[in-house]
Amino acid sequence: MVKEVAFQVERAMPVDTKRVRGPEESQSPWLFVQQSRGQPTRVPQTRESERRADGRRRGQVDARPMFARCGLVSQAKGSAYIEAGNTKLICSVYGPRETERKDELDMKAGRLVCAFRLAPFSCAKRCPWIQGSQEKDLTLSLQESLQPGVCLHKYPRSQIEVNVLVLENDGSALAHAITCASLALADAGIEMYDLVLGCSLRQDGAAYLLDPTCREENGDESTENQGSLTVALLPTLNQISGLLSTGEMKEETVVGAVRACVEGCQRLYPAAQQCLLKSVRRKVPAPQN
Amino acid sequence: MAAVQVSEAEKVYIMHGVQDDLRVDGRGCDDYRHMEIETDVVSNTSGSARVKLGHTDILVGVKAEMSRPKLEKPNEGCLEFFVDCSANATPEFEGRGGEDLGTEIANTLYRVFDNGHNIDLKSLCICPMEHCWTLYVDVLLLQCDGNLFDAISVAIKAALFNTRIPKVQMIEDEEGTKEIELSDDPYDCMRLDVENVPCIVTLCKIGHRHVVDATLQEKACSMASLLVAVTRKGTITCVRKVGGGSLDPESVFEMIETGKRVGKALHTPLQEILQKEESLGKKRHKVGFLG
Repeated sequence: MVKEVAFQVERAMPVDTKRVRGPEESQSPWLFVQQSRGQPTRVPQTRESERRADGRRRGQVDARPMFARCGLVSQAKGSAYIEAGNTKLICSVYGPRETERKDELDMKAGRLVCAFRLAPFSCAKRCPWIQGSQEKDLTLSLQESLQPGVCLHKYPRSQIEVNVLVLENDGSALAHAITCASLALADAGIEMYDLVLGCSLRQDGAAYLLDPTCREENGDESTENQGSLTVALLPTLNQISGLLSTGEMKEETVVGAVRACVEGCQRLYPAAQQCLLKSVRRKVPAPQN
Repeated sequence: MAAVQVSEAEKVYIMHGVQDDLRVDGRGCDDYRHMEIETDVVSNTSGSARVKLGHTDILVGVKAEMSRPKLEKPNEGCLEFFVDCSANATPEFEGRGGEDLGTEIANTLYRVFDNGHNIDLKSLCICPMEHCWTLYVDVLLLQCDGNLFDAISVAIKAALFNTRIPKVQMIEDEEGTKEIELSDDPYDCMRLDVENVPCIVTLCKIGHRHVVDATLQEKACSMASLLVAVTRKGTITCVRKVGGGSLDPESVFEMIETGKRVGKALHTPLQEILQKEESLGKKRHKVGFLG
C-alpha cells in the first residue's frame, strides 16, 4: 500500500524531459589529476640562465613573435586579428555612431565603448557566457588604455564601439587585446594620436618573463617577489596610457618591470606598422602609372 | 564618482598652487586630510569600522561565514568584497547608477588582496576540502568627497583588525561523521593578523606634479591618477592607472616612489591608533554616527 502511494507521488511531479541538466557546479578532471600527483601546475625554473619552456630567455626583453592582420571582419568598419604563440584574439570596431544617451559631456567629445569578452572555450576552465567581474575589470582597463590614444574631440556626439573577443587565451590576453584594438581602430579610419601597444610581464623571483604564457602566469605563490604587470604605451609620444599590476613586489622590481614592458612595446611597433601598411595596400590599389 | 564643475580659472589657480607645493586648503602635496577612524560600530557583524576622511564617509562590515573552500585551494579560506554606493552619497547613485563604480572598486580590491601574503588565509581553514571561513567584506559609501580608495583601504584594515571569528573545532564521531563544535564562551575568538594588509594611496597628476588625497575639485583638474597599494614593509601589491589621460614613464616612477613613501608612513600611526582604541575597552567613548 505504501509503495503504491509513493509511486503515484513520483508520477505526479513534473519531470523536465526536454533538458538534460548537468550538475550545478562542474570542474575539469585535470584539476584532480594534478592534485593527486602532488606536482605543481607550472614548470619549476630554478637557475636564471635556464630557458623558458618555449626557448625564450628569462630576464630579457624576449616577446613571442606576433602575427597581425587587419580587415578580417567584412561587416565591421575596422577589424584586426592577432596571434602571438597560442593566444588568438579578434577585434572589431563599429562607429562613429550616434550615442544612445546624450549627456553634456557628449556634446564636446565622443565616447569610446569597449567590450572585452573571453570565449567560453578560451581558457583552461570554462568561462560562463554571463560577463563575470574579471571581464568587466579588463574591459575598464582596456578602455582606460585606449582613450588617450584616440582623438575623441573630433567625434562629438558620437560613440565608437570596440569589441575584443579572445578566442584562445595562452597568457597576456589584455596586452594583446590593447594592441589588437588599436590596430582595428586604425583600420577603421578613426583618428588617433598614436597606436596604443600593450605588453605584459610576469615577475618570477629575481628574473622577469616577458609576454608570459598561461602556464608561466600562474606562478608559485610561496616564493618572494611574484607578480604580473601589463603596460600600454603610445610609442612615438612615449606616454604610458595603461598600467595594471598584481602580486606583491618591491618598488625597484616594479620600476624595472615597467621599463622592460616599455621596451617590449617599442619593439612591437615596427610589426604593427607593417601590418597596417599591408592592409592599406590591399584596400587601396597602387596607381597604374 | 560625483563630479564637481570647476571653471577654467579655478583649474589654473589649483595647478599653479600645486606647482609651488601649496594646495587650496593649505596642505602640502603629500599630506592627507584629517582622518577619523572608529571600529566596532555595527553590532551584528564580526568586525566593522567607519572612516571619515574630510567629507568622505565609509562604513565597512565584515561577516565571517562557513563555507566550502575553493577546489584549487583546499586549505585556505577566502575574502569576498562587495561595494555598495549608497544613494545617500549623491543622487547619481540612485537605483543602479552606482553599480559601475561599485564593481570597479570591488575589482580593484580583489586585485589588491589577490596574492596570498596579506591575510593568512590558511588560518581561516577549519577542515581541508570541507569547511573554511569566508570573510564577506561589505563596503558602504555614505558620503563621497574624493579619494575613495584610500579611505576604503584604511577602513578595511581597521575592520579586519576588529574582526572576531569564533573558534570552532571539528569532532569526529565513532561512525566517522564530523560535527562542528562551538566553544561556550562567546568571547573565545580568533583574531586576524593585519600586519601585512596593504593601504591604497591614490596619486593624482596635476600639471607637472602629483598630489596625495585629492579633493573633488583637484580631481577635476587632473587627467590621470595612479593607484598604489603599499604594505607595511614597503612592498607594492597593486599599481593601477585610472582616468582617461596618459602618463610619462618618468612621472610614473616618481609617483610610485611617492606612493610607497606615503603608504609606508601611513601604517605605523594607524596600527598605534587601533591598538590604543582596543586597549580602552569598555571605557571607550563611542561616537557612532552622531558625532
